[in-house]
Amino acid sequence: MTTTVKSPAASGSTSSPAGAGGPRRRKRAAAAASRPWLLLAPALIVLAALLLWPLIRVLMFSFQDYGLRQIVSGDTNFIGAGNYSEALSDRQLWTVVLPNTVAFAVAAVFCTVVLGTLVALLMSNLGKFWRTVVGSAIMVAWAMPAVTGTYVWVWIFDADNGIVNQLLMGAGLMDEPFNWFTNRWTFYLIVLINVVHHGFPFVAITVLAGLLGVSKEMLEAAAMDGAGAFRRFFQITFPSLRQVFTVVIILSTIWDFKVFGQVYLMPGGSGTNRSVLNLGVWSYVESFGQNRYGFGSAIAVLLTLVLLAVTIVYIRVLMKEEEL
Amino acid sequence: MKKRHLPLAILATAALGLSACSAGSSGSSGDGETLNVWIMQGTNAESEDFFERAGEAFTERTGATLNVEMVQWADAHDRFVTAIAGGTTPDVAETGSTWTAEFAESGALAPIGDYVSEAGLDGKLVEGLLEPGKLDDTLYGMPWYAGVRSMVYRTDLFDAAGIAVPTSWDEFRDAALALKESNPEIIPFPVAGDAENLTYPWVWGNGGEVATQSGDTWTSGLDSKEARDGIQFYTDLALKDGASTTGATTWKETDILDNFAQGKVGMAMMGSWTPSAILEKNPELEGKIGSFAIPGPEGGYSPSMLGGSHLSMFESSENKDLAWEFIDLMTTGDFAAEWATQSGYFPGETSALEATVADADEITQAFADQMVDAGAYLPVTPRFGAVQAKKTTNTMIQSILSGEKTVEQATADAASEMTSILNEK
Repeated sequence: MTTTVKSPAASGSTSSPAGAGGPRRRKRAAAAASRPWLLLAPALIVLAALLLWPLIRVLMFSFQDYGLRQIVSGDTNFIGAGNYSEALSDRQLWTVVLPNTVAFAVAAVFCTVVLGTLVALLMSNLGKFWRTVVGSAIMVAWAMPAVTGTYVWVWIFDADNGIVNQLLMGAGLMDEPFNWFTNRWTFYLIVLINVVHHGFPFVAITVLAGLLGVSKEMLEAAAMDGAGAFRRFFQITFPSLRQVFTVVIILSTIWDFKVFGQVYLMPGGSGTNRSVLNLGVWSYVESFGQNRYGFGSAIAVLLTLVLLAVTIVYIRVLMKEEEL
Repeated sequence: MKKRHLPLAILATAALGLSACSAGSSGSSGDGETLNVWIMQGTNAESEDFFERAGEAFTERTGATLNVEMVQWADAHDRFVTAIAGGTTPDVAETGSTWTAEFAESGALAPIGDYVSEAGLDGKLVEGLLEPGKLDDTLYGMPWYAGVRSMVYRTDLFDAAGIAVPTSWDEFRDAALALKESNPEIIPFPVAGDAENLTYPWVWGNGGEVATQSGDTWTSGLDSKEARDGIQFYTDLALKDGASTTGATTWKETDILDNFAQGKVGMAMMGSWTPSAILEKNPELEGKIGSFAIPGPEGGYSPSMLGGSHLSMFESSENKDLAWEFIDLMTTGDFAAEWATQSGYFPGETSALEATVADADEITQAFADQMVDAGAYLPVTPRFGAVQAKKTTNTMIQSILSGEKTVEQATADAASEMTSILNEK
């Protein structure tokens, strides 16, 4: 980045009058080289203070047994990698928490991207009026706060008064009301509906923006040659949207991995029903709920590393194929 | 740990509410100073007017200005932690009775035992609220107000079906079954799976203990025979007798309140602060609700948990004498009694409690009986907060109600988890 900024400045200095002396010219070149950094400095300092320092603090906390007592006294209390070994040796993490988190993230990312893409394809085929109508409708789903959305779904699936139970019982499919929140699978089905409903509009809008840039001529030519809708999508549209999908999938993965409120606010989701714990809720209950800030920081560091790894894999896979 | 029950003898010896003046304005001239106080929002609907007058009285007494900030219960714990970390704590704050030991252990609170002795309040404070305010026998939380959970029921449904107020567990079960028969569309008695405080009375009532301490070691008593039988009775009301609903498996106490207010519940365990909330939500229930203390297995009462607040002084306060003046003003005498009356709670000073009990209306009377004769508190250790955060007891009840575990399995798992958390250092 610096080179691109530097080159016009450097070329400017060479075209300066030849009368300038050697050392002076070097000084001027140095000044020109540092100018972009000088201009960037305020932003970089602010970023470092706001982002880097907290990150370093979290890393430092993660090697300490840091609780309320340490907050009050301001003392440090290093215990080496104790928090990490405790987190990684927790049986519940491997048998319940991670399977729930990973399986849910995979399902949620898949459903969000597929549904979002389908809606985008639909919208790209609509006239201006109907595109605006559909766009506004999905914007409402997007704009709804996650907390509100969660309560709406909880209310829909409520065991005693929920519309789902009433419909199923009215249709004669069920004799007694069923509590959807006590079963691990139905619990996560509701979370999935909630998260996908909240997440697909972003995918739809982003993909739609890309779709509008796909060359119409190529699609027309392919149609003339007899390519069906599926073939046109996978051989023309999808390859030209590869970068858009990379971004959308990475962001969705990060969001769906970190789901917290949508689980925590569901009945039994705040730790009472151990079989539905996910990474977000588990780390909250185990660390912040018990004032163990060091342990919570260690989990946050681990989660960051996992997400970084996932992101790198995605970028390598999706970008490399493009180069071939 | 048999000292859970409140000694009534203290009530009888309680002096008149003169202690308000005892501390006097001798040591603490606060001219020109400001005392910062955090109070929880929502306890008292008339708190604005209340603190305006309290502020005037405080200025008259000390010369200092009172600055009260209302804090939401939901984010109060986080705000305390943030304030402690940033050194921006108030001088005095209302702390939930289960938080006081935790904040005290961290070193954020100032001990107030000497002030209490000096003010002549030793032995004049409600024990069920005093004990949770202590850490290692040092007092950090001044009892302010407390509520207790008892049974609230629909008098109209009971009368119509000819059901008498139950006085034993068998009668209680019969009442639930009779309600179910006479009113099939209502929930006779919801057994909530996410409400630990409603579980403990069945443990205590049957002679069990939540956890006991010997030396430095805590042992959970949830897997004892007494506790198991009590929990079995409680959960069988849902699983065998069908007195509850499948939805209640994931209910919290607030869900019980909502459903009761909608007229869908026959009787339920609810706090002494709920009847006014029920009538506010549904005025049609006026005159149709009553209360009775939670019966014991063979008569008598089952102890129930006191929930309440302390006023705590922060170690960072620069004028602790002034801070105490405010605590004294709030927790004794007229202001304490007025706060209790307005909010539907009971005051933390025994003489004021006695006065409230004497004036109690019919609904409050049963709660007063429960509070005075069968009020109890949870194991007093900062580690119990971790047990609550981990939802050990809630998990136990919910797994029984959902059929995931038997009472034996669930209580054994909960007891071993609780014991291990309580003994962590």
